[in-house]
Amino acid sequence: MTVALPTRRVEEWKYSDLARALGDAGFGEDGARAFIGPVPQGVEAFSLDEPNRPEWVKAHYGKLPANSVSAVSLAKARGGIALRVHKNKHVEAPLGLDFNGHGHVRALLMLDEGASLTLVERCDPSDTRNTGFEIVLGRNARLDHVRIAPNSSAVQVEEISLTLANDAQYRAHFANFGAKLSRLELAIALQGEGAGVDLSGVSVLSGSFHADVTTHVTHEVGQTQSMQLFKKVVGGGGQAVYQGKVTVKPHADGSDSRQTAKALLLGPRAEADLKPELEILADDVKCAHGAAVGDLDADSLFYLTARGIPEKEARHLLLHAFLEDAIAGIANTDLREMVRGAVTVALDQVTA
Amino acid sequence: MLEIKNLHVAVGGKEILKGLSLRVDAGEVHAIMGPNGSGKSTLSYVLAGRAGYEIIEGSILYRGEDLVALAPEERAAKGIFLAMQYPVEIPGVTTMMFLKSAINAQRRARGEVELDAVAVLKAVRKKAATLNVSEEMLKRALNVGFSGGEKKRLEILQMALFEPKLAILDETDSGLDIDALRLVAEGVNALRSPERAMLLITHYQRLLDYIVPDRIHVLAKGRMVAEGGKELALELEAKGYEQIIKDAA
Repeated sequence: MTVALPTRRVEEWKYSDLARALGDAGFGEDGARAFIGPVPQGVEAFSLDEPNRPEWVKAHYGKLPANSVSAVSLAKARGGIALRVHKNKHVEAPLGLDFNGHGHVRALLMLDEGASLTLVERCDPSDTRNTGFEIVLGRNARLDHVRIAPNSSAVQVEEISLTLANDAQYRAHFANFGAKLSRLELAIALQGEGAGVDLSGVSVLSGSFHADVTTHVTHEVGQTQSMQLFKKVVGGGGQAVYQGKVTVKPHADGSDSRQTAKALLLGPRAEADLKPELEILADDVKCAHGAAVGDLDADSLFYLTARGIPEKEARHLLLHAFLEDAIAGIANTDLREMVRGAVTVALDQVTA
Repeated sequence: MLEIKNLHVAVGGKEILKGLSLRVDAGEVHAIMGPNGSGKSTLSYVLAGRAGYEIIEGSILYRGEDLVALAPEERAAKGIFLAMQYPVEIPGVTTMMFLKSAINAQRRARGEVELDAVAVLKAVRKKAATLNVSEEMLKRALNVGFSGGEKKRLEILQMALFEPKLAILDETDSGLDIDALRLVAEGVNALRSPERAMLLITHYQRLLDYIVPDRIHVLAKGRMVAEGGKELALELEAKGYEQIIKDAA
């Protein structure tokens, strides 16, 4: 089966030249892998390499609408993992999910009614990889998701497709430090009343790293909520992309949507492409979006240096402060500190 | 302490200070008064080392050392403090964290041992109480949501903590009601000392009722046009800047 990769002529891939970044080698035919930590009680894990898929995997695997890249992973992936958290099961400790290796890989995560989980996704930066990740949240389920993508000289693409039933909550943070080409695409369908998503993310890019976060949130029914806050610091010849589309379907009244993307450019070659977009087909909704690109505030910098803080440290402090509100929402203290730590290291590189 | 000779400064290619001279000795408090646009704020920024203020001619000596080549942080570590007219709001940095960074950066630059969080907190608390700076303010993001009075009190708290040798107070009275002004003035007066020089930059005579200067200078169109004792402020109040400048010409 051959599935064509998108070119830059496709609007959604305008800022990310996938074909060029991949070159003739493409994603390759090797199999990438997904690993999880010890499986907690109340969680079922199934390796997608194995035969005899259980009914719940058969019922949900490959069922969510996919973009062209995700369709490729679905067609070509030989491995991956399926996870299910059983009804009303609250998994306290964060569960690690690691993707590594070269090629295509799939993951499926289901939270049954009333279940809750904190997922820490780590992307091994060494290989070119295309990950397709489906997440199905049942009624009143709650998923906290933290994804950390260290900088990588490879091409790393991931599509997350997500559906939420009534009152389900998805709170996610995406820390992305760039790749030769890095694309994270989220396709989120709010299908049940009371469902909500809270997406935040930070990117700190130096060198020629690229990081593209593209989201498409669809309010299929009313009384649903989506919040997005993405902050980017770009130095060197880095490129940060945010494309956020929010669609409010007809009759999805009472939808509440906010999206904000801000970038600081630290040099003349740094680039940020921020494109929030709203498509409102209902009448009674509350939607707001905004994007801003700027430089560090000269008054703030002078204030800090005049109090004895060296310029490099002052810049560091201000950049941290700029990113902080996008990090502060991470519920788990350890994970929040982990992201702060990764941001500190990346800011050292970008201000060096 | 401070000796400025024939200082010419341009901002964005436009000359603002045009041959300003000033000498302030340790233990003295000097007031610099002048109408809007006379160059008062330019002088304070030049002394603190803000980028974009180009010195075309003249010299600034601070404790015998040429100040011009030093970065703002080096000046701060050497004991120069500018209480700003408009303290900036910095969301995402708590006031306490900022104070700790500033104190330790200055100590590091002077080759002194850095203070740990507990020691900083102790030092801050001791000074904060007299200036009516609450614990809650210290936990908030720097100057964010602070009232005009709170911002100015925090400036004076920093002055008390850093113990500068030369303190420049730029329009510290602006935006303060009479109670806030009194509190800030008491804070400043408490810091008067034989080892410390202060420069009060102000448009109005009001502040000088509370902080009585040793000398008053009148700045107009980038130069000092009159100088006198504290009674000069009253004369200014009675006659207005225009007349005093005319008399001096």
